[in-house]
Amino acid sequence: MSQATRRGLDPLSIVGNDTARIDAVERVTGQARYTRDWKLPGMLYGKVLRSPHPHARIVRIDTSAAEALPGVQAVITYENARVVWGAGSVNGGRQYNDATKEATLHRRYIFNNPVRFVGDSVAAVAATDRHIAEQALSLIRVDYEELPFVLEPEEALADGAPQIWPEGNLAPDFRGNIEPMVSRRGDVESGFADADQVFEQRYDTGFIHNAQMEPRCSLASWEGDKLTLYTPSQGISNCRHDTARDLGLEDHQVRVITQYMGGGFGNKNQNQDADLVAATLSRRAGAPVMLEFSRREDWLGVHGRWPTVQNYRVGVKEDGTVTAVEMRAYSGMGPYRKNSGGISGLECYACPNTMRVISPVYTNRTTSGNFRAPSNPHGYFGIQSHMDEIAYQLDMDPVEFTLKNMRRPTEDEEFTSYSLDQCIETGAEQFNWSARRRVTPGSDEGPIKRGAGFSFMMFRAGLGTSSAIVRVDASQRYTLYVGVTDIGPGAKTTMGMIAAEALAVPLSQVEVVWGDTDRCPYSVGESGSRTTIMTGYAVVQAVADLKQKIADNGMPTGTDVLVGSATPAPDTDGKTRQCFGAHFVEVEVDTRIGTTRILKYTTVHESGRIINPTTARDQIRGATIQGIGQALHENLLYDQRNGQPLTPGYYRARHLTHLDVPDIEVTFIEVDDGYGPFGAKTAGESGIILAPAAVANAIANATGRRMTSLPITRDKILGAMA
Amino acid sequence: MRDKEKPSDCYRDPVVKYLDPRAQSRRDFLQGSGTAVVAGAAVSAVGLRGARAQEANPVARSTVTLSVNGTSHTVEVEDRWTLAELLRDQLNLTGTKIGCNRSECGACTVLMNGQPVYSCSQLAVWADGAEVQTVEGLAQNGRLSPLQQAFVDNNGPQCGFCTPGQLMSGTALLNSNPNPTVDEIKAAMVGNLCRCSNYNAIVEAVVAASEQGGVA
Repeated sequence: MSQATRRGLDPLSIVGNDTARIDAVERVTGQARYTRDWKLPGMLYGKVLRSPHPHARIVRIDTSAAEALPGVQAVITYENARVVWGAGSVNGGRQYNDATKEATLHRRYIFNNPVRFVGDSVAAVAATDRHIAEQALSLIRVDYEELPFVLEPEEALADGAPQIWPEGNLAPDFRGNIEPMVSRRGDVESGFADADQVFEQRYDTGFIHNAQMEPRCSLASWEGDKLTLYTPSQGISNCRHDTARDLGLEDHQVRVITQYMGGGFGNKNQNQDADLVAATLSRRAGAPVMLEFSRREDWLGVHGRWPTVQNYRVGVKEDGTVTAVEMRAYSGMGPYRKNSGGISGLECYACPNTMRVISPVYTNRTTSGNFRAPSNPHGYFGIQSHMDEIAYQLDMDPVEFTLKNMRRPTEDEEFTSYSLDQCIETGAEQFNWSARRRVTPGSDEGPIKRGAGFSFMMFRAGLGTSSAIVRVDASQRYTLYVGVTDIGPGAKTTMGMIAAEALAVPLSQVEVVWGDTDRCPYSVGESGSRTTIMTGYAVVQAVADLKQKIADNGMPTGTDVLVGSATPAPDTDGKTRQCFGAHFVEVEVDTRIGTTRILKYTTVHESGRIINPTTARDQIRGATIQGIGQALHENLLYDQRNGQPLTPGYYRARHLTHLDVPDIEVTFIEVDDGYGPFGAKTAGESGIILAPAAVANAIANATGRRMTSLPITRDKILGAMA
Repeated sequence: MRDKEKPSDCYRDPVVKYLDPRAQSRRDFLQGSGTAVVAGAAVSAVGLRGARAQEANPVARSTVTLSVNGTSHTVEVEDRWTLAELLRDQLNLTGTKIGCNRSECGACTVLMNGQPVYSCSQLAVWADGAEVQTVEGLAQNGRLSPLQQAFVDNNGPQCGFCTPGQLMSGTALLNSNPNPTVDEIKAAMVGNLCRCSNYNAIVEAVVAASEQGGVA
């Protein structure tokens, strides 16, 4: 049950062998130090006051009673702390940088007036203990003038909708133009003209909070003009640069330390407002400040996957050839454009005529942002549900329909390696697809019905550059400096394994130094599934540099050291580099009470060569389970009457527990794609992409009802069966 | 512990939500949307009462004596401190994590007199006279417990933030049932969430530890 099945490559000496994490003992003994575990002399505790209204103007704010409370050392509000949080709102939702900072039309500050969602930050205090800080918040008097609010993207674009920004509710693109995101290939109208049938359907998906176990926090400490931030960050280098930019400092004046962090899944990229609030409080109070968010604050004040509405039109010929795909969609961004609002999935089809129009829309819900594979799972749910439905309407097997229509290498597009067909065929065989699938959906007798669903995936490997430094001393100990943090996938161990393999020494001979911008070179950050391929590639090149120096100089003696380094710009000779996968799932739906149980879940992935099979397997299993939660449970519901969020927190979002999860079977098809470190490709995000579509298709196969809205909760199944 | 049998959808009913004591933490209620609902003029009245209370009534304190990982401590605590705060802030046992501070996630699970409890939802004063075991107390003489070793060998931690709580629930289970079935493991550990969703590996680790002879 536990080992991933592997096909294709033999392990190398270190790479490819199941390896325990190099920091596993720290993690199981409580010695691993997370941000909130730090304590500095004279440290104060910080807390943030948040808006209770979805949209309101602050008329007056009176902090005098809070300031008078014994133990309170600083109180900051929008009036006395106008700090831009650049990464909190970016034109086009792109990576925050110097250019986008200047261009951004709808700028976000650490405190805003008007406030634009329930949970928007209003003020913060620092006090000698957290209970006094909490009490001080209750002493801040805020007079609000409530403004009309809007929660749903389509309503926000209607005439007469409350305007969240002066330019309206359609979020600007990266140039500042207020237009939807449009991408076209071929000519959809001629594609529809060629079609024998056109299928239309609307799909919608919910807000999925990242819900990492460690709530957001940040410890800021100043020594003169140098700021040290202890913060859970998925990218210490970018966090440093963003923080310096926002506070008007030089990079070298900011040090970011992330020794251990309790997950992120995309909401700890770059810097966060907690870092800026802690830094500002600390500067005012003249003491280190530990800013802590409660779970509710984390849920409402950070971000989650954007909710979407997706309208599809697909044209097909009688033989099942897709001739045109059109999607017109809306992404609910909350009141700030923190990330793209993208919806992907169309690119997996070879159809020459596609058009995609996405409107990223401001609403008075909490902010949307990156969550593991930011644009993918909801988009794959939409398009692959629709294609699954079309296959059944045409009396075709969805696997056969996919093999006919999926994107493949062409004369114009070469892949570093391509194995999507192999993933699908291997999965279908292992799962016994032809036996588990109901040829006629919903055909089981009785109220408890079984069915099987399938989805497939191709996912781009991330971009960016990273650096690595490797040093050897006279005792032949190697020290690897990489600016990674380990958010869970095991990056430190992976980097160590890559270095040890390249050096041809045991892993125990390599010490990995990570998570500190004063000690480590630039790394692109733990986002976009790119640490292994980008920073890992830099490690390979740094070792090559060191080996050359050893060849030139001999091994160091006495107190000498030799140092190798590299900042490679990875290149794939114009080829497309993607990872691939296919998921097959069998469900049992009790149509009397609307419950869905997963009976069998088979995954097949190709991510190039697997560096550490143990941790790679658990990236796929964990991501898949997160995707099942997105399919069946998770959402952030709002009361339409008053704009209040109804389901923040683990109970109400109903995250999967030990009791809910099936065994996830994992098979890796391994290839050396010739470009990544030892041929590795990307893995971390890919598993979550397939699960919502696979589960939804299985429910449709079991019940005979196409479920078009995520999450597929009990009430929706009961409604569909009624 | 988390009661999975309760029909979860009832928590979505706005009325039930406010009746459900777990739906809001006491602190969130006091400082967050609780006061938020009456923000404006009413807040200042609440605020003034709060300020007067602070002057008139200094924070109540008590002295508690408890054993933590076999070491006896006598500590003066504020009555409002939780056991998690006592362990983390006063005794520097930061292995115990606070994920939600409201009995939802289980990251703060410790053993109190042998039973797994959410230390975020136990007041420190309630621990007077108790024997508490935390994740720091699992290894003996520098040797990992079989369950800890199984977590190392089976990739039990991903981000590791839920790991101490998972280990304590797993330890309590193996103490009372050295050879649990997979279903018994899942039932005993349902109160410990893992957002990395590394549930398969965690259960495999508990199975491996039980095959190695449990916690002893």
